[in-house]
Amino acid sequence: MNLRELQVVVACVASRFGTSTVFPFLQQQLDKSVEFSTPVTSYRSLQEGVFLLRNEFPLYSGGVVHHAPLLVALISVFNSETMVSLLYACADALVAYQLIAMAKYFRSSSLPSWVPGALYVINPLVLLSSVSKSSIVFSNLAISTALLTALQGNWVCSAVSIAVASYLSLYPLTLIVPLLALLRNHKLKTLSTAAVTLAALLLSSYKQNDESWNYLFSTYGVIMTFSKIIPNLGLWWYFFVELFEMFIPFFKAVFNLFAVSCIIPFSLRFHKQPFYAFLLCLFWITLTKPYPTLGDGGFLLSFIPFFKPLYGYFRYSVISTLLFIHVSVLSPIFYHLWVDLGSGNSNFFYAISLVYALGLATVLVDLVWAMLRIEYDKGKPNLHLKLTPI
Amino acid sequence: MALIERLQRRASNWGLLPRLLQLLPRLAILSGIIGLGWLAIYLPLEGEFRHTYISENALMPSQAYSYFRETEWNLLRGYRTQIKQLADESSDQRNAVLGSWLEEVGVKTAIYRDPVNGDSLYGVWHAPRGDGTEAMVLAAPWYNGDGDFNVGGTALATALTKFFSRWPLWSKNIIVVFSEDTRASLRSWCHAYHNNLDLTGGSIESAIVLDYPGSNDYFKYMEIYYAGLNGELPNLDLVNVAVHVTEHEGMRVSLNGIPESEVDEEDYYGRMRKMLLGVRKMALAGVQTCYGNEAFSGYRIQSVVLRARGTDGPFDITTFGRVPEAVIRSVNNLLEKFHQSFFFYLLLAPRYFVSIASYLPAAIAFSAAFILAGLDNYLKSSMKTSAGPNASSYTLATIFVFVASLVASFGVFQIFVQWVKPAILVLSSVMASLAPIYPLKNRVSSAHAQQLKAIAFFYLSVVLTSLLVVNFALAFGIGLLAFPMIFLKTTTNPRLAIKNSILLTATNPFICSCLFANVFESQLPNLELIPRLVSAWKELGCWTWVLISIGWLPSWLTMAISSLPTTDTVSTTQKPTTLDTDVKKLQ
Repeated sequence: MNLRELQVVVACVASRFGTSTVFPFLQQQLDKSVEFSTPVTSYRSLQEGVFLLRNEFPLYSGGVVHHAPLLVALISVFNSETMVSLLYACADALVAYQLIAMAKYFRSSSLPSWVPGALYVINPLVLLSSVSKSSIVFSNLAISTALLTALQGNWVCSAVSIAVASYLSLYPLTLIVPLLALLRNHKLKTLSTAAVTLAALLLSSYKQNDESWNYLFSTYGVIMTFSKIIPNLGLWWYFFVELFEMFIPFFKAVFNLFAVSCIIPFSLRFHKQPFYAFLLCLFWITLTKPYPTLGDGGFLLSFIPFFKPLYGYFRYSVISTLLFIHVSVLSPIFYHLWVDLGSGNSNFFYAISLVYALGLATVLVDLVWAMLRIEYDKGKPNLHLKLTPI
Repeated sequence: MALIERLQRRASNWGLLPRLLQLLPRLAILSGIIGLGWLAIYLPLEGEFRHTYISENALMPSQAYSYFRETEWNLLRGYRTQIKQLADESSDQRNAVLGSWLEEVGVKTAIYRDPVNGDSLYGVWHAPRGDGTEAMVLAAPWYNGDGDFNVGGTALATALTKFFSRWPLWSKNIIVVFSEDTRASLRSWCHAYHNNLDLTGGSIESAIVLDYPGSNDYFKYMEIYYAGLNGELPNLDLVNVAVHVTEHEGMRVSLNGIPESEVDEEDYYGRMRKMLLGVRKMALAGVQTCYGNEAFSGYRIQSVVLRARGTDGPFDITTFGRVPEAVIRSVNNLLEKFHQSFFFYLLLAPRYFVSIASYLPAAIAFSAAFILAGLDNYLKSSMKTSAGPNASSYTLATIFVFVASLVASFGVFQIFVQWVKPAILVLSSVMASLAPIYPLKNRVSSAHAQQLKAIAFFYLSVVLTSLLVVNFALAFGIGLLAFPMIFLKTTTNPRLAIKNSILLTATNPFICSCLFANVFESQLPNLELIPRLVSAWKELGCWTWVLISIGWLPSWLTMAISSLPTTDTVSTTQKPTTLDTDVKKLQ
């Protein structure tokens, strides 16, 4: 780690921790905003869990806590708010460091390795997500650890990390498919290690949760069945608000299938570019998961610098940038019009969540197109040749 | 797909994109002109607007007979005579006397004490047939917007309360409010009602403000005000009900204080004038005279002001009283909230309106104009800098300048809230507008200047876009007044520099909004606008001052810096060839 990289990591801790301590109200404000907080990631419900745990109440019978039992136990270790802020800041800084470490694996690119880390630090979506103390920070950390260690060939670490990520937020479980493609060998061992780790985590959660399995529904069941219909930037909530009761189970199954449908195709089609396939899958999950936040989106966008060789092929970069800017400006405004003033309605906010999905989708489509093009050009970018996707 | 492919190839063969990019400055100007033309010329055309209609069937305006007639005449006059004698008393005295009358009727009263803005007396009449969760407000400020003693209004409110209390049909509580004035006092009561008052009557659905100054028995016509703070409008259904009931009683309706002579003009120019007046009232709500409905903005309360005009005429004060009676009976019929999607409209006449989908393009066009102008400047500057070695240092400097002007604007916003000196503000604005003719030694390079312009335009465009739905009138107003910034040229020619300086003066947020107010608003002479903006922000929570100083000013400051004398004399329009190749690369 050279000086510049150290600066980036220190800047990450300082910016997160500094913002949390200088503006303590910002955390509560952000935690109330639907863009940065969902029932399954919000810090309010995590605090509630910590309170229940400390007073030896059952964690999940109240229907408020949807965090994994071990995460609640981890946070309850820290007594002061400052320590928790520091924990979040350090977790985020670790992600920034891992991005730098990943950049070192792409020596061929002209980019200095500290740049992806620096972009992660100044990315306002990630910054605000971290300040809001959304538990998505930990899932992101686990995912980036899995990716980095897989690149390094450290299959044990990778398997354990992906198991932790799935333990924290379920859908990363599917990322094990592209991860296996990323690891050159020990595939079976990786799979079994991940399974064993996950089983161990679930079992210790069972012990931690007073020998009760009810946490399974409160954490994963709530995600899969989307039982808390609360507005967010995802595609699910509006649909299930509008739907007739009798169709709901069927469409929940369909939406879940949709969320995992593209994992195997992406991994197969791009098995020669496994890092890229992994990120496509991550994009796909972020696009289709039931409780997304802007923190997910910010984390994803931090990987864009790795695709510098493909930039020439991007066709919608201006459009996607404009879409993201407008989403971040308009979504709080439209939510305010709907919920506070009552002059707008839910369609206003839903329209913005569609725009967000469109923004993610344009980036996804651009990435796929760029990779297919560079395959077609046999690795040598030929920007003058024009092709039309059909 | 094949069709799209063919079109795409055809377009690239014609060189459509490079041509369009060359046309960008003209497209930006065209877009602005379309924006203005859309609102002012196109919308009042026959066929572009619709007749108003009652969307919520439960309201049933004027379906029931109004009983506030001759039987109440003597009561009303009695109250009026008594209240007239109270005119010179202190506010405590007045509130005590009126409170005792209300208590006699059976209304629970309380006085909300506000040492800064004035006390308010209010009473809650609990609905015999409701669960007490919803309420309707009848407000009669002691002094109306013009500062006249509101004898008729307060007497009417008292008589109506007594009249209502005899009826068993109410399903929503009735709250009657007597605040000291129509502005800060009523606003602070409304704020307190939603925060810390002990005597409350549920969530307020609607509010009707009565304004009948003078003790004359007769009046000529009715004025209705509806524009709320921060671009909020009451549900069109409530305005429709008020208009319907008023016209049902035979009175003529003037919206937003249109003079009597123009009330009946429903031809093209009449509609245009009425609509533009409505937009102006929306943009300046809270800044100009408040008639009382502004006080209820932000709490999901639909409010209108009913105002009697003229001292002689065919209608007597009980006729006026039948209007709030019928409106309150209509609202009382409501089983749900007011209908959605009836909150965004412009009225061209009491019975004509355009809805959001029709009028929004006007403001979008201004936003698009700034985007196009920004894009033009961005492309021109990137053409010059991309070859140069210090492209990224340029960008960094640009961002630094922009952040600095943001910080400076925030400083201006904070300083002038505490220390209201409009003359100094305008004077320093004029000084800053002279930037293009400063004799500077270190000149700004033209590429840098264009980059600054690009960022300024982009910022302004994002501000306008975010305002589109929240406060259409303000977005349109800022877009229109800031539009001449597009004509600022990057140049070294001294004559053009003077022109730039004039343009900067004309688009300065403070100078041009004051000019605008002087031309169109007789009640805001000279620099009166700025203290009004500040007091609206402090007392009413009206965001116009914030938006002008933090939304518009940073962009203007960046433009002023970009207009400092530049070094590079390359005329920017004469490089189509490099632009061509650059664009081809992009395709």
